[in-house]
Amino acid sequence: MGKKYAFFLGCLIPNRYPGIEAAARKVLPRIGIELVDMNGASCCPAPGVVKSFSRPAWLAMAARNLCIAEEMGLEVLTFCNGCYGTLAEANHSLKADRALRDSVNSKLKEIGKAFKGSIGVRHLAEVLMKEVTADGIKKAVTKPLNLKAAVHYGCHLIKPKVLREWVGSAERPTFLDELTEALGAESVEWEDKMACCGAGGGVRSAILDVSLRMLNRKLLSAKEAGADFILNVCPFCHLQFDRGQIELQKLYGLQPYDIPVLHYVQALGLAMGYSPHELGVDMNFVRADRILEKLS
Amino acid sequence: MEMAEGGSWFEPKILGFLCNWCSYAAADLAGMSRMEYPPNIRCIRVMCSGRVEPSFVLEALREGYDGVLIAGCHPPSDCHYQSGNLKARRRYYLLRKLLRELGINPDRVRLEWASASEGQRFAEIVRDFTEQLRRLGPNPIRAMRVGGGE
Amino acid sequence: MPDPQEDLKIGVYVCHCGKNIADVVNVKEVADFASKLPGVEVAREYLHMCDDVGQEMISNDIRELGINRVVVAACSPKVHELTFRETLRKAGLNPYLLEIANIREQCSWVHRSDPKRATEKAKDLVKMAVAKAKWLMPLETKSVEVSRSALVIGGGIAGIQAALDIADNGYQVYLVEKGPSLGGRMGQWSKVFPTMDCAACILTPKMVSVARHPRIKLLTNSELIEASGSLGNFKVRIRKRPRYVDEEKCTACGLCAQKCPVRVPNEIDFGMSSRKAIYITSPNAVPLAYSIDGENCLYLKRGICRVCERVCEAKAINFNQKEEIIELKVGSIVVAIGYDPFDPTPLEEYGFGRYKDVVTGPMLERMTDPMGPTGGAILRPSTGKPPRKVAFIQCVGSRDARFNIYCSRVCCMYAIKDSLIIKEQNPEAEVYIFYMDIRAFGKGYEEFYLRSQEAGVRFIRGKVSSIREDPKTKELILRYEDTLLGTALEDSFDLVVLSVGQVPRADTETISKILGIPRSTDGFLMEAHPKLRPNDAVVDGIYLAGSAQYPKDIPDAVAQASGAAARALIPLSMGRVEVEPLSPIIDEDRCGGCGVCVKLCPYRALELKRKGEKTVAEVDEVLCKGCGTCVAACPSGAAKPRMFTEEQILSMISSAAR
Repeated sequence: MGKKYAFFLGCLIPNRYPGIEAAARKVLPRIGIELVDMNGASCCPAPGVVKSFSRPAWLAMAARNLCIAEEMGLEVLTFCNGCYGTLAEANHSLKADRALRDSVNSKLKEIGKAFKGSIGVRHLAEVLMKEVTADGIKKAVTKPLNLKAAVHYGCHLIKPKVLREWVGSAERPTFLDELTEALGAESVEWEDKMACCGAGGGVRSAILDVSLRMLNRKLLSAKEAGADFILNVCPFCHLQFDRGQIELQKLYGLQPYDIPVLHYVQALGLAMGYSPHELGVDMNFVRADRILEKLS
Repeated sequence: MEMAEGGSWFEPKILGFLCNWCSYAAADLAGMSRMEYPPNIRCIRVMCSGRVEPSFVLEALREGYDGVLIAGCHPPSDCHYQSGNLKARRRYYLLRKLLRELGINPDRVRLEWASASEGQRFAEIVRDFTEQLRRLGPNPIRAMRVGGGE
Repeated sequence: MPDPQEDLKIGVYVCHCGKNIADVVNVKEVADFASKLPGVEVAREYLHMCDDVGQEMISNDIRELGINRVVVAACSPKVHELTFRETLRKAGLNPYLLEIANIREQCSWVHRSDPKRATEKAKDLVKMAVAKAKWLMPLETKSVEVSRSALVIGGGIAGIQAALDIADNGYQVYLVEKGPSLGGRMGQWSKVFPTMDCAACILTPKMVSVARHPRIKLLTNSELIEASGSLGNFKVRIRKRPRYVDEEKCTACGLCAQKCPVRVPNEIDFGMSSRKAIYITSPNAVPLAYSIDGENCLYLKRGICRVCERVCEAKAINFNQKEEIIELKVGSIVVAIGYDPFDPTPLEEYGFGRYKDVVTGPMLERMTDPMGPTGGAILRPSTGKPPRKVAFIQCVGSRDARFNIYCSRVCCMYAIKDSLIIKEQNPEAEVYIFYMDIRAFGKGYEEFYLRSQEAGVRFIRGKVSSIREDPKTKELILRYEDTLLGTALEDSFDLVVLSVGQVPRADTETISKILGIPRSTDGFLMEAHPKLRPNDAVVDGIYLAGSAQYPKDIPDAVAQASGAAARALIPLSMGRVEVEPLSPIIDEDRCGGCGVCVKLCPYRALELKRKGEKTVAEVDEVLCKGCGTCVAACPSGAAKPRMFTEEQILSMISSAAR
């Protein structure tokens, strides 16, 4: 039996890309990560939009989710940069500032909950890097992905760095590249690798054209670098890269980039021999046929 | 015994021992920088925190001060006289034990370090200590004195 | 102990300090309160106690009313204790019969929003001062002869100037320089702003003056390892590392270096070139002699080689030279240890260390030096060809909350200077300077800035957020915000210069500990007062010059060095200093000879001595610094201080208690 974590699903995975959840449930127990459902967990809530409208509301909602994990006595495991940004920072703020904690707890009291500050919040990437390790991943891989991957870290995963010491360098991190190479793939150098995908912070919702222009730059660089697929660790980045490619075609009449997009758990699943269907890869907008042919 | 205006609000009275080279200068710097802190503290300048005798602290408590602050230079090596602060620190730990024996809350005596450029830190220490003493309440020795006279 | 028969007449003087005190503290109320305290003969208030009228007020009362204890309630004793002591002395009263109540820095200035309680506090502070005044004793200073020589630490332009000024005044100077030669940072620059003077041309004459000066003893390869004593009488120990080359015999022909097989990165060129294990820092070095680097010399590390010795025609190589410890007695010390350039490696977004064509300002400087790594031509490190488009990024490591908040003062000017040199070498080259503000504050600086604009240097107001390399062209792409246009842009350059600021030298902490002089929060050595005593360290007798105290350009370094020298000359020219009566008096009747005080004294100023039948402690008044640790520790109360006595402190405690 592996180490148990409270499985925080967030919104995008169950509602838009349930394949990521399916992949996680199949793949992770085999590398020592047990996922335990969080009953009653809600939207994290979003670190860009909700936090900027009302910090107290954001904090209280996040604290409620954290309480659920505290009651389970397990660390939270997230698969989304945004959920990580919210839950990890809310957890940190509430642990550090007693006045803040008291005020949030006075709200939580109304629903019979109390934040204690007894657990931590982890992102899948951190757990894979530190606990499973790249070597552990290598051992689990049976069908190495002989593909070129454009690795996309995203933003909330690594910044602000002061609250994420485990990241190492926030300007030029290497951990996700190492985890990707452990799958047998080659992590290519692509321009603006570290740039935002353009989705978060309300940008995609409010000014889609700006969001898509940002996306377009990234897709161009990925193409120029000869990437076979784009690897991410966040369903919102995943959505942006995936659905965004179709939107660029439909709204702007651009030629299709046709670059498949995979969340890390899906890529790991493929490398462990699961079928694309089992991992929900066929639910993506951008068809993955090109790379699946290369793999078989 | 005087009561602060506003009735129930207790104003602690604090005695401070500041060393000439570091903490006294820090307190001066807080003044030069126009920082604000509560006017509950009365400071006595000494050349070094190592000069502060435990009997001074006990005398202050006996005389009714609610708290005593001893402030010196950061250990291990900021002390103008090399190691006076280290001696102050040793005496302080023993003093705390003694206070406990005497039934006085050892938190009424604080040892802090503030270098000459740390005006802000000094102001924060005084603010924090004043609040802490406000929560701890008046020095119990005062209640034991008959008649409330000096 | 004070004379119990003496009829005490205390005078209390409460200062308004203009509005500084009076705006918050009710001065009249405090003076009235003081007048009613037992023992107080008279209590007065005045606008500025420290001015002539105020001081005359006190002197008059001493003469006419027989006031024999003076309490001044005003600013911090650290400001005017000496002033008022002088007032007492002139009026015929012992200057130590003064106590100052700090009702400004520690009262009116920090309790502005509560004048009522500030006034109550001021009354308490006066009460405490009056209580202490009752226990003050007349004390005498001792006049001690001064060691009439000075120690200057650091052989850069500031140290050189200070040494020359002191020596020209007729006093012996010991100039200690860690490296093998004088010159410091200025010796690494080629041209200086705004005159575009050749740095070596204006520096070398001063270095030679030092070398030739009959009253300057130059100790190179030397560092301060220990210091003790006080103003007028410092004892210092210097470690002089062996050069392994006889300075008298060496002709600096350079044959040894030609033959030496060891190559190491050259620190003078910031690693852009290499030097041999036997080397000279520049052809203008003073002393003009080679030096062997003991860490890298094959003979000194492994007992092999000795080629230099074989080829040296002057027979100047001497592997038998040993380390020397030199002990000196000096009256003043000037600290001019300089700075290090900020290392921009932590700013990963700029890629210093990753991309060869991202260099620092000092590295570019070395390229402009004809004796430097590129023979004076500014070249792209990756190709060795002149750049066609250069970007300067200002405020790297300065004005940055992540690293250093302060402004390093010189970077705007050196970037402008270097941009002009680039244009000189290649008028077609495009030069951009990315800035937040251009600081051209000095004489001739604004004109120099205009000159660069006229020469076609382009100034972009905005920060560069990242630098990346174009994989195809290998040029550097800078992403930046042009705040005047209000957009974010990208542009390619083939050379990027990071204008790094000045940071305290790595050994500032060591010097600070050895001399007991504190540093400011920014890590530079702290001045006694930023406005009134900018050249004095906090400890009397030690003075600061150059960037060791705070980043500055050469004109300011030289001006400050002369200022520090003037300060350092005071004890030397007076020949004597007054030693304060700091040491305790041992009551030999009470002393049990337990020796606790001996063990605790950090200056070893106490000794157990046999006196008649008893063994008692004895104090060396010169070594004692008056910290009071022995007093606090003495189990029998035999060690009695002359100031800050037990009676004084206890009376202060009880006077203002509840």
